Amino acid sequence: MSLMDSLAAGFALVGNIEAFFMLFVGLVVGVVAGAIPGLSATMAVALTLPFTFAMTPINAILLLLGVYKGGIFGGSIPAILIKTPGTPASSATILDGHPMAERGEAGRALGMALYASCTADAVSNLALILFAGWLASFALNFGPPEFFALILFSLTIIAGVSGESLLRGALSALAGLLLATVGLDLVYGTNRFTFGSPNMMGGLNFIAVLIGLFAIPEIIAMAWNPVAHLGKTRALGKSRCSWADYAKSFKSIIRGSMIGVFLGSIPGIGAAPAAFLSYSEARRTSKNQANFGKGEIEGVAASEAGNNGVAGATLIPLLALGVPGDVITAIIIGAFMVHGLQPGPMMFVLNVDIIYGLFIGLIVSSVFLLFVGSLAIRGFRFVADVPKRILMPGVLVLCIYGVFAVNNNIFDVGVMFAMGWVGYIMMRNRIPAAPFLIAFILGPLLEDNFRQAMLMSGSDPIILFRGPITWFFWALTLLTVFAITRSTLRKKVPLS
Amino acid sequence: MGLGVSTFGASLTMTQKSLHLRLGIAVSLGALFLILHAIPNYVYAPSNVRNIILSPLFWPYVVAGLTAIIGLSLLFTAFRPGEDVPFENEDVVHSDGITPWLRLAGLGAIMLVTMFALPRVGMVWTTMLVFVACAFMFRTRHPIAAVVCAVVVPLLLYAFFAHVAGVAIPQGDFVRLP
Amino acid sequence: MRLRTLGSVLALGVGLTAGAAVAEYPERPINMIIPYGAGGATDISARTIAEPLGTAAGRPLIMANVTGAGGATGSVAVQNAKPDGYTMLFARVGSHSVNPAMKATLPYTLDDFRFVTVYEINPVACAVRPDSGIDSMDDLVAKVAEGGVSYSSSGVGSLLHLAGAMVLKEFGVEDPLNEATHIPQQGGGAAATAVLNGTATFICTNTSALANFVSNDQLKALMVTTETPVVGFDAPTANDLGKPRLNALVGWTGIAGPAGLPDDVSAKWGEWINSAAQDAEFNETMQSMGSVIDVMSPEEAVDFINNQYSVFRALVDELGMRVEG
Repeated sequence: MSLMDSLAAGFALVGNIEAFFMLFVGLVVGVVAGAIPGLSATMAVALTLPFTFAMTPINAILLLLGVYKGGIFGGSIPAILIKTPGTPASSATILDGHPMAERGEAGRALGMALYASCTADAVSNLALILFAGWLASFALNFGPPEFFALILFSLTIIAGVSGESLLRGALSALAGLLLATVGLDLVYGTNRFTFGSPNMMGGLNFIAVLIGLFAIPEIIAMAWNPVAHLGKTRALGKSRCSWADYAKSFKSIIRGSMIGVFLGSIPGIGAAPAAFLSYSEARRTSKNQANFGKGEIEGVAASEAGNNGVAGATLIPLLALGVPGDVITAIIIGAFMVHGLQPGPMMFVLNVDIIYGLFIGLIVSSVFLLFVGSLAIRGFRFVADVPKRILMPGVLVLCIYGVFAVNNNIFDVGVMFAMGWVGYIMMRNRIPAAPFLIAFILGPLLEDNFRQAMLMSGSDPIILFRGPITWFFWALTLLTVFAITRSTLRKKVPLS
Repeated sequence: MGLGVSTFGASLTMTQKSLHLRLGIAVSLGALFLILHAIPNYVYAPSNVRNIILSPLFWPYVVAGLTAIIGLSLLFTAFRPGEDVPFENEDVVHSDGITPWLRLAGLGAIMLVTMFALPRVGMVWTTMLVFVACAFMFRTRHPIAAVVCAVVVPLLLYAFFAHVAGVAIPQGDFVRLP
Repeated sequence: MRLRTLGSVLALGVGLTAGAAVAEYPERPINMIIPYGAGGATDISARTIAEPLGTAAGRPLIMANVTGAGGATGSVAVQNAKPDGYTMLFARVGSHSVNPAMKATLPYTLDDFRFVTVYEINPVACAVRPDSGIDSMDDLVAKVAEGGVSYSSSGVGSLLHLAGAMVLKEFGVEDPLNEATHIPQQGGGAAATAVLNGTATFICTNTSALANFVSNDQLKALMVTTETPVVGFDAPTANDLGKPRLNALVGWTGIAGPAGLPDDVSAKWGEWINSAAQDAEFNETMQSMGSVIDVMSPEEAVDFINNQYSVFRALVDELGMRVEG
């Protein structure tokens, strides 16, 4: 079948109102769910799955993809407005998005988040359509040693988000690494810091830690000084994202999209590290470096581009190999299988109409997202106008519901509270929270892949340098460490 | 008490060096505690581990060792000769004396009570009380709006989470909602 | 989505007013705990049966994923719940036969639960990469003798972990723990990927997790552990290979309550599950996922699980696989 035939077959599948309607509904559900802390994109997709059993395959998959993409963007709304990331992927957006909202520029930040998201989404979809086969076979070269080198490199992001002091950033990261060891050991299954509690055996819930670290300290700070915010503009006002803003950030958006596509096509990394990596790259190359973390619009653009760049690209291993890149695509694979479809290389031969139908749907989804997103921004903008001393108790209540809903476990609410106090102490001692989070995500990956590599080789460390991919990331890591050390010595980056 | 208070509340004239001195001491002690007590007692390793780098203990010890290095570096920067600059934009207000501390303690108490009440009283009723307690502790200027929100917000969230998202929100032993 | 829930809310309101006189179980929605993550085999199975089961029960079933520690966190939540039949568990092979057999520190035992049914069986298959040069179980065993063979799993105490060791042991490898390397991964998807990208040599897991790789010729099945062949898997059964003891090595999903569950509640569940299993859509969905619907009575379920547990426990003790810390 020629490309034209395939395209025609694809159009025949999606060329009905119903398919586009499902995509649209999915996006709406996703954006709303993403905007509610605790109800992450993952949960939204999981909750939608049972409704898709009775649909035709293409409608089912488009609905789920809509929820997924909507959810990833939706997460940025509360991240900017109330410093509570709706999904883990939007935690990097807080760094500059929330300071902008505090300055009365929530509208500008949200607008930029939306435009960056849609652009990255489009880039990601294009990459999927054009390079799926090539990227997938490349991704399959990633075994534990390659992962180890990649994650080691990713940990250098910490230097970029440490703010005024590298030492305090490193301290924050170590606290994150330490907390991430709680739970059952991967290789031997023994307890680590669980104190015999079955709740601790599963490790500390990521969302509970995340919300505890970012949202709760704000509430505690309000208890310390309820009138600190008076005199600051918070209202959304007339601030909008201008064409000039977009043009200025365009380079960062494209770079972020590329980073997202690359990390998304490798199974097992996820959107949050991509957002942080994109953010730190944008910061590194920006002329306004000093303004990052204080409300730089390019920072919002970069992080949102990073996490949305992942959304289309995680479908690359899914469609080309049948391998889920993250939890969400694992659920989507379930949807494929329920409909008797077997994702993998053969699908491009046997069900090419569905593949092309999906591609068409994906392209349309970027446009739909722009539309749904701007509606959502209008719908949620009132949050910025709520008096802060009523908003904050509301945020607290919302966090309690949201964190409970993630794993139906009251213990997680306690984890959130406890992390809130940790976060508050860190805030008062000028220790940045972002390195903690990055380390909390990457730490277990680093350890697990290291140990898997050691198991593979019978504890021979040479395996960590086994091929060009590992060499590449080792070289990158060394270069970055060298650059950080040099600029620290020249006092461009403050060590202390 | 001195260390505790200042770790929590930041003294009036916080400078780079005083902060790093405090953090350095706390972090170094923390690393020692980990290495000497916490890791040996709370991380279990089976007896048949073939290689030390595969042991469940290896990574926690690496992290603890790095923590110790950071702690010592913090101390080093605190004692290093050179200018000591106070931080800018410290927006800590101390004029209220003890009241901020009381409010912090109050919020802590609210959280503890919440944890106790959630499974027993139910999430909706508990969060209503949490809302009211917080709003009044923050001395809101809109008390009536606060009470209305305190009733409406948890009910709306309940309706959404329980009936749209299908989450089993804890109902408690007393009054159950449909 | 909203319409349906609105409907159930209305139905609930009517039920409350009408049914106030006879306080018969169930008076209100039942919380069903799924101890594994959304989108996994247990989750899909549970959510598929929830629909017909809720119809049979006359009350909605509220699904709650409580994940962590290989199913232990969710299982403990049910163990500690009131045995009033309003908190029930979707128990799974990993949480209720492999884990109790392998983990000394597990905070529960099989006696802490009362099983009302086991309703599906998932055959297990072992697979390798087609270019690995391994075409049969005998090839695999020969390769183990050469050394360097590893198998992936979704973690310590998972069915995959035990299955890898058990299959090698049955095929005559004396000390599978030291002759082959177990490389645990985070989750079942990652375990299959590990074989795909050459991190591990083989994997033994539920056929549903392997079906798409096998049909795409990315993985080659060496055997299935059932008596009868599995559709889509062109591989000999354990009985063909003369290893009928491997028939015990299957995945399953069942429903259990806390130990003190009253008899009448258990009886009710027996009725519901039997009528739910007749549902055509449920059967169709489950079969497309590669499972075998086999509704067991409470007694059969307990026998089945205890039998599997003792087989696993014997193996664990013989190989010294028990996790003590």
